[in-house]
Amino acid sequence: MTDLLTWFADPARRRPLLRLLVAAQVLYVLGVAGAGYATAALGQHIILTTSPVDPRDLLYGDFVRLRYNIGEAPLSQWKDAAPPRRRQGVFVLLAPGPDSVSTTVGIYPSAPAAGPNQAVLRGWVTNVYRNSFALRFNLERYYVPEGSGLRLEKAGRLHPLRVRVSIAPWGQARIARVDDPVKTPKPRR
Amino acid sequence: MSRKFLDTESPGWVTDGLISEAQRLRLLARYPQQAPALGLLPVLGSVLVGLSGLSVVAANWQGLPDVLRLALLLGSLVGSYGAGAYFLRRGNPDLGHALIGLGLILFGASIILTSQLYQLVGYDVSGLLAWVVAGVALSYVYGSRLLVLLTVVIGAAVQTYCVQALGSFSYATAAMVAGGMGYYWWRRPDAVGSTVLAAGLLWQAGLLVVVLHAKITWFFVPAMLLYAAGDWQPNRAGGRALQGPPLVAAYLFMFGLATFGETDAYANVLRPPLLPYLGALGAVLALSVAGKRARGRFDTLPDWLLLLPGFYLPGGLPLAVATLVVLYAHAGSVLARAHRQEDPNQLTIGAILFVTATMVAYFKLTWAFLDKSLFFLLGGVLLLGLSWYLRRRNVQVLAAAPPIAVPATGPPAPTEPSSTPKTRLPND
Repeated sequence: MTDLLTWFADPARRRPLLRLLVAAQVLYVLGVAGAGYATAALGQHIILTTSPVDPRDLLYGDFVRLRYNIGEAPLSQWKDAAPPRRRQGVFVLLAPGPDSVSTTVGIYPSAPAAGPNQAVLRGWVTNVYRNSFALRFNLERYYVPEGSGLRLEKAGRLHPLRVRVSIAPWGQARIARVDDPVKTPKPRR
Repeated sequence: MSRKFLDTESPGWVTDGLISEAQRLRLLARYPQQAPALGLLPVLGSVLVGLSGLSVVAANWQGLPDVLRLALLLGSLVGSYGAGAYFLRRGNPDLGHALIGLGLILFGASIILTSQLYQLVGYDVSGLLAWVVAGVALSYVYGSRLLVLLTVVIGAAVQTYCVQALGSFSYATAAMVAGGMGYYWWRRPDAVGSTVLAAGLLWQAGLLVVVLHAKITWFFVPAMLLYAAGDWQPNRAGGRALQGPPLVAAYLFMFGLATFGETDAYANVLRPPLLPYLGALGAVLALSVAGKRARGRFDTLPDWLLLLPGFYLPGGLPLAVATLVVLYAHAGSVLARAHRQEDPNQLTIGAILFVTATMVAYFKLTWAFLDKSLFFLLGGVLLLGLSWYLRRRNVQVLAAAPPIAVPATGPPAPTEPSSTPKTRLPND
């Protein structure tokens, strides 16, 4: 039986293997970037609002921590017989209100059919309380350009922020932009 | 022995008549002056240039267009891999492996920075898992110790990130490191690499215990599984190197129990359900014993003394006495084994363990009963006497050993019954 390590370390294979590995790494990084572009380009755009956060908790170095209003839902919105469990993956059906901010219609254990205008956002149960449960969406961190983080922090402490989210057809979601309520021109270098 | 040592000392050997001048010259010719593979100044210069480039990029990172950022990341990634391969071909493995390691680090940096660029960093660790996979693959291809260490460290870092930032344990990362690097260790048991691998895996096991909110004593089940793997390793030194970190952890735990175990406050932290815990540990013990049997290493069986679950005893005197007995028995077993194998390093370790156990016993048991000055006097005399005795034994053993005894590497001496019969067969 040939040893796997000997096979890999064969000097004749070294060069093609390195090329393969480097190509795979480059493709992987490009894939990450491509997924980011595609989510914004092809995805559905919704607007979510955040609730003010404990200021100590908000800014972590280069990112801002966001807490969404849809991140906590009453159990009455849970559309399944069995109660939600921690770490369970769920689907949140969202519909925009008159101010174009999306709010929860219902939370499902499997993907619901979205009506016109509605959107489905993937979420995970983080905690279950007596009458409500908490969700996370992998959208809780917003990496801010240097300098503007502090402004967002101040704003987020007082007012809800409006977060524009793109949801790709394959379910991946990402933050497209966080609207800064204090309308100041962005510093350009 | 360095060439410099030879240069400075050898004239003295000639004057003392140990060697002739011709022999001295032959010796010097045998160890030629190492030509520096690469001048130091160019390296320093290029490091400085590189740093300046890096700081320009870092300062303007936010202002750069996305495409340029991506191109910079991927360009430096491909560049350092290419340079690494180039220097390897030129016969400069150290620099080559270092540059390939740099490429691996840049791959991780590219994943993280690209995800941040597109706000994709969430609770998804698959991106970072790719980093570990790349590290394992590169270690296999180049078989370099540096890459092995880097991969183990990257695995531990990714796992730490998962636990700290995401609050979940990435089983895939743990499996990748344990399986990928474990296989590497199995085939190429290198002492440093084995110890680092064991430490990295123990770190992940500790994180798993934290995430699961399990009793911390569960940590010893995966830790001793690692130990048992060391028992099955055909290469004894490599196996022992892997067993080092689990043994150190077990010893520290037992030591802590002996030192701080008199209160019962830890009871709900340390005591897992009796039957499942003992069952799991017993299964690992069976595995370990089978390995020791297969490789003829029963002499290391007393290592398991450290795993006796003394914390099920009620706190206070019973526990203190029990843990002390265990510490003494373990130290004694190390000393006895070292004595049998005439291994000076093991003798030193055994002596230190023995003195430590005595100190703990003394401080635990006599503090309450003696006047303070008498306490310190007696303790000092006890320790001095003990160290004198152990040192004498050490010297006696070494003097009794055959003059050119090289116990670890030489052919098995007739006085060493425990050396593995399996490994001896092909030599005969």
